[in-house]
Amino acid sequence: MKNNTESHDESAHGTHITSNKEHYSTLAALLLLTVLTVSISVFGANLRSLTVATAMLIATVKVIVVAYYFMHLKFEKKIYTWLVLLVIVLFLSFLILTSIEYLNR
Amino acid sequence: MAATTELNFFQVKKGLFSWIFSVDHKRVGLLYLYSIMAFFLVGVILGVLMRLELLNPGKDLMEAKTYNQVFTMHGVIMIFLFIIPSIPAVFGNFFLPIMLGTDDVAFPKLNLLSWWIYVVGALMALSTLLFGDGPADTGWTFYAPYSVRTGTNVTMSVLAAFVLGFANILTGLNFIVTIHRLRTPGMTFFKMPLFAWALYATSWIQLLATPIIGITLLMIVAERVLGVGLFDPSIGGDPILYQHLFWIYSHPAVYIMALPAFGIISELLPTFTHRTIFGYKAIAFSSLAIAFVGYFVWGHHMFTTGMSGAARIVFSIMTFLVAIPTAIKVFNWVATLYKGSIDVQPPLLYALGFIFQFMIGGLSGLVLGALASDVHLHDTYFVVGHFHYVMFGGTGFAFFGALHYWYPKIWGRMYNKTIANIAFVIFFIGFNTLYFPMLISGLMGMPRRYYDYLPEFHLPNMISTYGSWILATGLVLMLGNLIAGFFGPKPEIGRNYWGGITLEWQTLSPPPLQNFDKMPEIPKGGPYDFENNY
Amino acid sequence: MEHHSGLVLPNSGHNRDAEASKLGMWLFLFTEFLLFGGLFIVYMVYRMLNPEAFLTASYQLNVTLGAMNTVVLLVSSMTIAMSITAIQQGNSKRSIQLLVFTVAASLVFLVIKYFEWSAKIHHGLFPGMDVFNRLPHGEGLFFYLYFFMTGLHALHIIIGAIFIVVVIFRTKNGLLNADNYSHTENAGLYWHLVDMIWIYLFPLFYLIH
Repeated sequence: MKNNTESHDESAHGTHITSNKEHYSTLAALLLLTVLTVSISVFGANLRSLTVATAMLIATVKVIVVAYYFMHLKFEKKIYTWLVLLVIVLFLSFLILTSIEYLNR
Repeated sequence: MAATTELNFFQVKKGLFSWIFSVDHKRVGLLYLYSIMAFFLVGVILGVLMRLELLNPGKDLMEAKTYNQVFTMHGVIMIFLFIIPSIPAVFGNFFLPIMLGTDDVAFPKLNLLSWWIYVVGALMALSTLLFGDGPADTGWTFYAPYSVRTGTNVTMSVLAAFVLGFANILTGLNFIVTIHRLRTPGMTFFKMPLFAWALYATSWIQLLATPIIGITLLMIVAERVLGVGLFDPSIGGDPILYQHLFWIYSHPAVYIMALPAFGIISELLPTFTHRTIFGYKAIAFSSLAIAFVGYFVWGHHMFTTGMSGAARIVFSIMTFLVAIPTAIKVFNWVATLYKGSIDVQPPLLYALGFIFQFMIGGLSGLVLGALASDVHLHDTYFVVGHFHYVMFGGTGFAFFGALHYWYPKIWGRMYNKTIANIAFVIFFIGFNTLYFPMLISGLMGMPRRYYDYLPEFHLPNMISTYGSWILATGLVLMLGNLIAGFFGPKPEIGRNYWGGITLEWQTLSPPPLQNFDKMPEIPKGGPYDFENNY
Repeated sequence: MEHHSGLVLPNSGHNRDAEASKLGMWLFLFTEFLLFGGLFIVYMVYRMLNPEAFLTASYQLNVTLGAMNTVVLLVSSMTIAMSITAIQQGNSKRSIQLLVFTVAASLVFLVIKYFEWSAKIHHGLFPGMDVFNRLPHGEGLFFYLYFFMTGLHALHIIIGAIFIVVVIFRTKNGLLNADNYSHTENAGLYWHLVDMIWIYLFPLFYLIH
């Protein structure tokens, strides 16, 4: 009955300490992705409609990296991940429902 | 360990400052109660004035523009100052921590801050009555482009709604963390009272929908200040987009108003039928389902705006889906009444009034949610009738039911039950006399938001106005009776006045500062397990 | 405190609860995300309705400055994350240094933003200015949204920086330490959110090519 993501243990706080090495590699990955998205946009001029999709895809990967490592989502209780997913699903539904409206005008 | 002569939370500290700077959730709840009731009465007076204007065709009392301002003010006050905060901020604040067996909400200071923000927002909204170019005349929806162009003081009203949104978000945030972190040992999610479940679902809506209206209202302010706008067709903008953003919040907001009321009814029925609630989990999950699906139906407010056909069909279907969890609740409540040992007391009367009126409101909502019939009924009095049946006949009745139910617990006093019953009957008759004719005049085609109407609508309007007088009489009698209960010799209330089973009935009336004088015992077989406990 | 005598309940609202404050912060971040979410919806609709105008207008923005600001924010995100590591290990001094660096980065961001904005305003592209008013349908919307969204984002940078400065002082006074660093953690969470918003704003405004 009892949901294990909900237990009131006090040890949950600060069990994981991220090392500086992990921080450096996270930053390196983020900078690499930034270089990638800028070069696609500036030099890959012929992609046209694909650029929006790739730019959003890369941005999303970056955001996931930030959330997972810098914001410690990876090491938190699972409920945080579920709540974040809930909010994202909700926001995507807003986008989809609004697009249904405007694409069919 | 616990002293038997413990001071209650009224006695611990005295003086004005001990109240307005109190971080005790019970005091914050009562601060909310007193301020909300004050604004409610202002809203009632505006409503009665509107009905007076509509007594006869033609101009009786006020100019068209004044009427527009009055109905806008009535809407803003009743929605943003009364009904959205009402049950969560008053009874949620007061009873959620007690029902969970803890001594306060998770962030007591934020809780006090939310009341202060509420007061500031409320004063901003009311200031438009006195200062500037007069209160807004846009309707509470502030539709662009009129809200951008009108000369009235829309900016202040909109900023007030923005500020009030913060108070809501803080309350919602506080409740979610409280429910996750502060349940007393043994109180699992499925041993929580249904009121806590309802507040949990409500809080998620407050948290996730309110920011959208916040940013939308800021856009309106920016348009008025900068003079050019996002919703201005002259630079390629789309006024309908404003309506989308507005209803992305404001439809879920309807459930901010309704869900806590469902929670109240789920508390009242077990206590006064002395049996366990029928379908505990179904009611709990239907709250979450309503909260979730409620996000995806906003388009049904916009069927006639020229929205695309595909979207209208999607939104209409989604709207019908919300009816399912709502109906689940009503069936479960009725099933709870079946073969219960019903004890007819004033709070139960309000609960029964709620069920009756909410059914009318809900079913008329389906008429409006259906694409075909909405095209005819859009912006008629049918909408006004439907909305008041759901919000006033529903949430309003639940609010007063809760007030009668928890009165002995909050103040340790009692009102006159006979007068309370009489007041309920007058209130109930007045309510239905006031709003039922609106459904009919709406079907006849009477448009809303005009200070005047064609002679053929005279009869229903006359009946409505008479109803408003009956309603006001009932309200005055009810509130007078509640206030009279504060005076005179103090009766012996005891801990459990109604024979309820949730944790608040295990403590003193009024509760001590830390809520309990002895460790609360959690009912073994679930929160409404009367069989094993009595 | 108003809190005294009698029974002490196990889960009290007056206890210090790091988990609660973290959960509260996450919930607050959701509201911030949806605040910008409303603007992203507006952006999506108008870009869908005016794809060409958005393309033309975005050529006016300076990709180099935008990219520089992205790098500044990413680096500052790392430093604030490292300051949490430092305080967890009990190294308050290092934590403060890293936080100061983060605040400095926020100032760099704002200065770059200031030059960008002034260039646009100099060209009369701010809503209501003469050039803005003569822009074709759609391009005006682009600049309106550009100023609204980056302006709101800059406001969040300022709030975040103030939050971090408060944390610096509290760490200095020893109020925050290896046993109690919720505020550092929450400042970090807030700062990462601001960073995330920028990660989306950057391609949406600067990289339409």
